[in-house]
Parts: sequence; structure tokens; C-alpha cells
Amino acid sequence: MKLAVFKHKTKEELCGLLRTDPAKDPLLARFITLGLPNKKSEAYRYFPIEPLLEKEYDRAVFIPKPIKEDQRIEIENGIVKCAPKGIRVYYKNNRHVDMEHFDPFYYLGHLLASNVIMIEIDGDVEVELLHRFTLPNTLIPYRLVIKNQANRHATLFESFEGEHAKSSLILYGYDLWTAKESSLRIVNNQTIQNDGYALIASHKFTVEKQANLVYKTFDFGDAAALNLFKADLDDYAHIDAGHLLYTTGNAIGGTVSQIVHKGEHSTSRQEAKNILDDHSRGIFDALIRVEHHAKYAKAYQNSKSILLGDDAYMAAKPQLEIYIDELEASHGATTGQLDPKQLFYLRSRGISQTEARKMLVIAFANTLIETIKDVRHQEEIKMSFEKTFYAQAKG
Amino acid sequence: MMKIENLKADIGTKEILKGLDLTLEEGKVHAIMGPNGAGKSTLSKAIVGHYDVKITGGNIIYKGQSIVDMEPENRALKGIFLSFQNPVEIPGVNNAYFLRTALNAKRKHNGLAELNAAEFLRIMKGHLEGLGMKADMISRSLNEGFSGGEKKRNEILQMLILEPDVIILDEIDSGLDIDALRAVSEGINKMKDGKRSFLVITHYSRILDYIKPDYIHVLKNGRIIKTAGPELVAKLEAEGYESIEEEIR
Ligand SMILES: Nc1ncnc2c1ncn2[C@@H]1O[C@H](COP(=O)(O)OP(=O)(O)O)[C@@H](O)[C@H]1O
Ligand SMILES: [Mg+2]
Repeated sequence: MKLAVFKHKTKEELCGLLRTDPAKDPLLARFITLGLPNKKSEAYRYFPIEPLLEKEYDRAVFIPKPIKEDQRIEIENGIVKCAPKGIRVYYKNNRHVDMEHFDPFYYLGHLLASNVIMIEIDGDVEVELLHRFTLPNTLIPYRLVIKNQANRHATLFESFEGEHAKSSLILYGYDLWTAKESSLRIVNNQTIQNDGYALIASHKFTVEKQANLVYKTFDFGDAAALNLFKADLDDYAHIDAGHLLYTTGNAIGGTVSQIVHKGEHSTSRQEAKNILDDHSRGIFDALIRVEHHAKYAKAYQNSKSILLGDDAYMAAKPQLEIYIDELEASHGATTGQLDPKQLFYLRSRGISQTEARKMLVIAFANTLIETIKDVRHQEEIKMSFEKTFYAQAKG
Repeated sequence: MMKIENLKADIGTKEILKGLDLTLEEGKVHAIMGPNGAGKSTLSKAIVGHYDVKITGGNIIYKGQSIVDMEPENRALKGIFLSFQNPVEIPGVNNAYFLRTALNAKRKHNGLAELNAAEFLRIMKGHLEGLGMKADMISRSLNEGFSGGEKKRNEILQMLILEPDVIILDEIDSGLDIDALRAVSEGINKMKDGKRSFLVITHYSRILDYIKPDYIHVLKNGRIIKTAGPELVAKLEAEGYESIEEEIR
């Protein structure tokens, strides 16, 4: 199938194509309003979405199997394989979706995925979630709903495997509720190399009263991979979002986001560090909106980019949209090169050009990598980074 | 050890070195003195392959091989070391990690096993004490927030660890108080083994009380205009560089 078949269709036609039940009608309506993305879509203005829409994919079949007990949650081609004891993971026909999301793929994902995978994180735990893709040239759509408990402090480490998923398109994402007075840390380690699959993740985060969501993404590699999210902040809610992007080859990707301050005293911090090698293109297209009720909000947003490749390009668009007076906000973006003085200093001590560049790039990235509290995961991220870096340096 | 022949070099579009000749002898200490802007730092940068300096003529022969087209890291691996006049700060690069990476690059080049963190720290401890450096200076970011004296000590620490064959010290004495000067000089003197060559670039004679030179070279307007024994220091001190120029004319 081609995603382009969903272009310019009436509700009835889409109903026929997607075979959705009437409960999904509002989703259909919203999808029709936004339309299948194209060059002119806000959310995809820097991302070449059209080749992905025109490509012919096999469709992954959805046959859920009993969920085995294991150390971590594994989802293979959109189907849960296993989950640890104490974490409730099950399928549900839940259509509790945000009707104000900016991303049409958020709705298309919900329309294409037969069920959502519910993940209920109980207690103060650390959970690992592995996404595995094994099918080549396949469209793999699936949705998750993630919930934690009030007053609890959990961590979720997300990682991806997909060596054999060449030319596939993954459309996934989660609707995430950070319960009131809780904290949830998400660390997303996504390395895609060797022209693997394309990935579009489309999320919705709800951060309830006095909750704290930490969302850190580490995207490395040469693929087309875009992370889109909308986050709604209630009274005294806080989000700390960090995005480390290292792209090589002809990669294009990054983050498109909307952080919406809905409640009083809500605070947000969003920091992007982008390292662009070869001919790759990076995206940080991030809006922070402070709405009428969000008195005394605080918003901080920053993007720093280093261009390593002569043809590399960064689209950094931090934006603030403010509807009140009583707030503190700042944003900014810089783009530059590695400092030649620093590079020379290292080389003058016998350190190779490649190694010296890596040291400086890691130094640039470290402020983000070191926000990961868990040392083992910090090391994993550093290793993923180095793997991508050296693969690039050799090629 | 090193022969610099008729070296011409530009910075930007300006010719700074205008046919400079200098031979560094094995086991000897060569001091280069000269007024500000004479081209002393440019010479040191030309030897280590700094990107600011474009060599337009002449040659630098080191251990029998021309090095003018050699990458800076390979010059370092072959034993050339420059203590920079203004060492750069590198936030986010841990000093100990940097030092170990540099040492291991050199050891690998020499066919030796690389050192792990513990083995490396054992070597470091002795050096730190000798230089009067606090242990926390190697756990900090490289040169970040270091005082002028601390940066110079860190340069000497690198020299002690890397054990180079040609040691160029570009104004190692500037900004040092007397204690720091003594510690740094002791470090340098420790490296004298009758084989290593030293090129001590300075504009004051003070450091030459601590590091005894075998030769004094006067660099002015991009050339070595005079070479003599250590007795020249006193004359320069008394009469300045102008006297040398007049003497030549
Ligand atoms: N990066 C640079 N850009 C432009 N001019 C430079 C640069 N570095 C040095 N120069 C010029 O080159 C000349 C020689 O400088 P330098 O070698 O640093 O002198 P010294 O070390 O003897 O004081 C001076 O005129 C100085 O202004
Ligand atoms: Mg100088």
C-alpha cells in the first residue's frame, strides 16, 4: 500500500479504506482537516515527507500473541513479545486522543493501528522498552499509551533495533500521562544506520498538576527520522526536554514540537544540541505556547548546532507564542563549527584528527548525555554515539 | 636533530618569516630572543604545523626527513612538542582523559601497550607533586578556568608525560611568579638527557638563569640575525636588540 491513497479523500472513502468503526469518526474528521502532510504542512516543512507517502509498502499484519514474562518490554513489529513482572502491558481499544494535536500522522497512526498497547508503570521503577523491527519494506504503525502512578518516580529507557527492516516505515508514538505529583523520566536512544528504516514518532504528553516529565532523546545515524510531540502542562507541571541529534550521510531528522503551558506556574525547559555531519540535515522546529491561564509560567528554550560536514544544514526554529504578561521566557539558537584552535591543540599532542574531532564533539554533547542519571545507560548512549561516529569517520 | 633552512612563511597575506636558518643540535638548549612581533611564535607554529602559518619556501628537516607537509599529529608522534604561549581552554574535555589519550597515542605509535586509567594515574601522581599541581587539576576540564600559571604547569605536565625529543617552549616564563618559574624550570631540566633538544623562546633573560642555554639566537624581522654563546644575554640585557642590528650593518 501507499500512504498517498489517503490524500484528498472524503470521510466515507477513508472509512472504506481504513475500515474503522464509528467510534473513530472524530479522529477521521480531524485527520481530514489537517490533511495528509505535504511540503506545505507546518509540521513537515523541513522534512521530505512526500517520497515516503509515494512509496509502496507491505502492510504489517497485526496478530497479537500472549505476552511472555521477561526482564524488559519488547515490541516487535508493533506486537508485544514480553514484559517484566509488575508492569501491566495489554491491548485496548482505547481512543482517548488529543483533538488538538498538530500532526496529521498522530491521527493516521491512531487510525491505522488496530489497538493501542497500554503500559501501566506502577511504583518507583526503571523499565526498559525495546522496539524491534524485522520486516523489510513494510509499513509498521502502532500506538502506545503510557501511564504512571501519582506520587511515583519512574524511568523508561527506550531503544530500537532494526537491522533487517531496510526501507520500512515506522509510524509509532505514545499518548503519555504523567500523573499528578509524579515524575517520569524517558530516555530515548535511537540509532539508525546503514540506510535502514524511516521512523516518524508522534507523541502526546500530558503533564498533570505538579508532575515532572523528563524527556531526553538521543538520535544518531543516517536515516530519515522525525520525532514530533505535543506536551500539555497543567498547574505547576514541569517538562525538561533534551534532544541530542547526530546525523551522518544523507540523514534528515530531528524534533518538531509544541510545548503548551496551560496551567499556572508551569515550567518548561527544552535544550537541543545538534551535530550535523556529511550532507545531513537537522531539524529543531519547536514552539512553546503560553496560554491565557498559564500565569507565572517559565519557559526556556535553546538550540546549539555544530556543522561538521561542508554540506550539512540545520533548521533551528525555536519559537515562543505568548498570550500573557506575567511570565519568564527566553529562547535562542546558535550554529557554528568545531573550534580550530581546540582541534589543533589536541592534534599537536599526537591525537589523530578523527579522535580529536570525536573528543570535541563528545564534549559538546556531554552536557546532555550527562543528564542521564543512570551510569550504565549513559555509557550505552556514549557507545551508540561512538559507533555512529566511527562508522562515519571510516566512510 | 632539526635543521631549518631558509624558511619563509606567511600569516594571512603577510610574510613573517623571511628566510630563517636555524639548526637545533642534539642535547643542546637553544634560546631564541627577540622583540615582540619578531616572528618567534610564528616559528614555533611553523615547526608544529599550525594552520595559521603558510610555509612559502625553505624546509624543516627533522631526523633526516622534511616535515613541512606532515600532519601536526604525526609531528607530535615523532617527538616534537610545543608548549604554547597561550594554551587553549577546552570545556567538556576532561584533562586526565586528554592526557591519557595523548600518552596512549604516543605509546601505540611506539609499539607499546596502552595504559588503563589506574596505570596512568600512578604515573601522573609523581609528576603532579613535582610541579606543585593539585590533584583536582587533572579531573577538571582541560585548561578551563586555569590561571596563567596553572596552564603553563599543565603544558609542562604534558611534556613530562609525552617525553618528546624536541621541546619548544614559547614564553613558558610569561605570567609566572618565582615559585611557578622554579617548578616549571625544574620540570624542564628533568628532561635534559644529553639527547633532547630544547628551543626556549623568551623575551626576558630571567628564565635563562634557571635553564642554562648553550646558544642564544636573536630573531628579528623574520630572520635569525645573530647566534652566540650564553654571554650574549648580558649584552642584550644592557644594550637591547638595536645594538645587534647596528653591529651587523
Ligand atoms: N593569527 C594572526 N593573524 C594575523 N597576524 C598575526 C597572527 N599571529 C601573528 N600575527 C602577526 O605576525 C607577526 C609575528 O607574530 P609572532 O610570531 O606572534 O611574534 P612574537 O612571538 O615574536 O611576538 C606580528 O606582526 C603579529 O601581529
Ligand atoms: Mg610570541
